[in-house]
Amino acid sequence: MPIWFELMILLLITYGVGIGLGWGLWGRGTGQDEGFE
Amino acid sequence: MMVEMIQENWLLFVIALLIGIAVAYWIFVVTRRTSVTTTKIDALDEGAAPAARNQALIDTPPASATIPVVPPGLAGAGTAVAAVVEEQRAEALKTASDDADETGADDLSRIKGVGPKLEAMLIALGVTRFSQIAAWSDDGIDRIDAQLGRFEGRIRRDNWVAQAQFLQDGDMAGYEEKFGKL
Repeated sequence: MPIWFELMILLLITYGVGIGLGWGLWGRGTGQDEGFE
Repeated sequence: MMVEMIQENWLLFVIALLIGIAVAYWIFVVTRRTSVTTTKIDALDEGAAPAARNQALIDTPPASATIPVVPPGLAGAGTAVAAVVEEQRAEALKTASDDADETGADDLSRIKGVGPKLEAMLIALGVTRFSQIAAWSDDGIDRIDAQLGRFEGRIRRDNWVAQAQFLQDGDMAGYEEKFGKL
């Protein structure tokens, strides 16, 4: 496996971890009721 | 080997992490701020076509109280016809007001602004007679008003108490002078 490919996969995983962190911070507990009457 | 690679490119990983967090922020915070506005008018709102139509039906005098139409050709018959018409009209109004008394309840829909739905709500709340409405104090109005849900505010807006007083006394002339033809 070329090194750049491995690096790209690891970066993608890190990106996913970032999204997961964001979800934990802002995404949790806000259901469909938010923003609607 | 993998650890070494991460150590060598740590800045790239930090940037990827930050981008991920930024994307998540955009998804979970920014897009959720979008407010949903609607211009759809509720069927019961003031001015909505169904509400206007219902109000027109409510305001229409009962069939028994309508004045018989004199054909144009006979209009010249003059006062005699007018007198008969007036007599029939008075009789019709009297019958209309007597209608409800047999059951011990008044026809609350005769109050302008009270439709079938409001009438049913009032009956459910134990209000069946004009005399009850005519006797409402401010507190009484508030108490009933709070239970009318969507119709809250109608009691004062349509002045039910004054209407009920006229209807209770059978003072049709006074009623019609103040609130228009029944």
